[in-house]
Amino acid sequence: MNLTSRLPAFRHVLAACALSAGLLSIAAPATSAAPATGWLRLAHLSPNTPAVDVYLYSVGNPHARLVLHHVSYGTVSPYLKAAVGTYTVAMRPAGAASSSAPVLSTAVHVRAGDAYTVAGMGPASGLRLQVLNDRLTSPRGHAMIRVIQASMREHLVTVRAGTDVLGKNLAFATATSYRAVSRGRLTVQAVGATERALNKLTLQAGTIHTLVVLDEPGRLRIDNLEDAAGSKVLPVGAPATGLGGTAPRQQSSGVIWLAFISAGLLIAASGLIRFRRGRRPDISMR
Amino acid sequence: MSRGRHAARRSRPAGLIVLLAGSLVALGGVIGLVANDPSGSSGYPLGRTPHVDAPRGRAAALAIASGRHSVPRPVSLVVPAIGVRSKLIRLGTTSAGTLQVPTTTSEAGWYTASARPGAIGPAVIAGHVDSTAGEGIFFRLRLLRPGDKVFVRRADGTVAQFVITAVRFYVKTRFPTSAVYGPVPYAAIRLITCGGVFDHATGSYLSNVVAYGRQIAGRHHASHRK
Repeated sequence: MNLTSRLPAFRHVLAACALSAGLLSIAAPATSAAPATGWLRLAHLSPNTPAVDVYLYSVGNPHARLVLHHVSYGTVSPYLKAAVGTYTVAMRPAGAASSSAPVLSTAVHVRAGDAYTVAGMGPASGLRLQVLNDRLTSPRGHAMIRVIQASMREHLVTVRAGTDVLGKNLAFATATSYRAVSRGRLTVQAVGATERALNKLTLQAGTIHTLVVLDEPGRLRIDNLEDAAGSKVLPVGAPATGLGGTAPRQQSSGVIWLAFISAGLLIAASGLIRFRRGRRPDISMR
Repeated sequence: MSRGRHAARRSRPAGLIVLLAGSLVALGGVIGLVANDPSGSSGYPLGRTPHVDAPRGRAAALAIASGRHSVPRPVSLVVPAIGVRSKLIRLGTTSAGTLQVPTTTSEAGWYTASARPGAIGPAVIAGHVDSTAGEGIFFRLRLLRPGDKVFVRRADGTVAQFVITAVRFYVKTRFPTSAVYGPVPYAAIRLITCGGVFDHATGSYLSNVVAYGRQIAGRHHASHRK
């Protein structure tokens, strides 16, 4: 909502970006348009848990594919491309040796084309890693939106988008499923027993959002994460981007030449038969 | 018996002539086929790729999901591997709902309803493969390979850098709209042109070439937005 209040979290995200720069492809080689890969992102959404190091392993490999250092409350990493398969996400206290036992870990099965948020959620005393299935598509002309309730001070929060109720009395450490909303400007409100937050959003068609309700000193905050985005308008058909000046002429006449070849061979064959008959009359006699 | 032998004798030279004539026709067919290779490799010469340097400038920050950050609009495109340097025209859709294409064949255009290059989503850039007379701005797009770099300069002078991940050919009747224009969870780029067989009857190519890429951190470290 106002920029100064966003900046701390913003910086965490930037830090995570910097850390993961160049690591976007964690497992897959060069990808195709319809690859056997999915997407993973890692988040810390436990208000009273200190910063952690988040490790990502593919199953059966003791060497971490990726480590995000010093991830603190409210941080959500960018999506990481991950080959289809099973991964383990583990959290250790920030700075702990990678050989030390993790505080907690969970397995994630990545399916082709799907996206997941693996988030440390709940209070420090009952911290758990939760795997959320993320959406990457929206109905034509609409945006999609869901809520993760990560405020511990307000154990129950009701979140409204305009007049729509996105979640009523959402319990701490839960998430709603996505719902379609009309594109355009939208005022989102999160209201707890004593604290509230308000966020003005502009939602484009073809975008998918996760709103995260966070504890901030003295009040709530709503972070708007853009999970995925497409074109606002999907053009019809295929673009006409060529006028033919470099195209070979008479493209389809290959068949004609093939006909020439076969006709020629037939004529030549009949000629050959006649020729051979003439040379060896005995055979032709009977 | 003797009548048959005579007939056979008479047909000998004629057979030879027919054999030779048939061979000539077949040979002509082979020459015609080779000279008219429908794969297009014998078409317009590829020529030498113009030398284009990667642009200088502050590297753009990687796209982030959080916060209200505005990504500046794109102004120009550089693809050194295929000698492309172009300012970017703004493209919308036609009244028929298809993607507008640049009115000039020598400049590429950015589809304004797609993501801005360096923002989450697919940034769609289209350019002509050719004019009626010769090369268009994306004449060599089909030669792009995974790993090649794409640079987009934005209005604030920053340069968003992308790496090509795939180059695909699609028959126009089966153009993959959602793969090209649809949602993705990262900052992507799509370079589109035409390719394959040109239908002289309709004045249109029958296929499209699409190069897919994703944003990478530039060589200079991303400067944090204030």
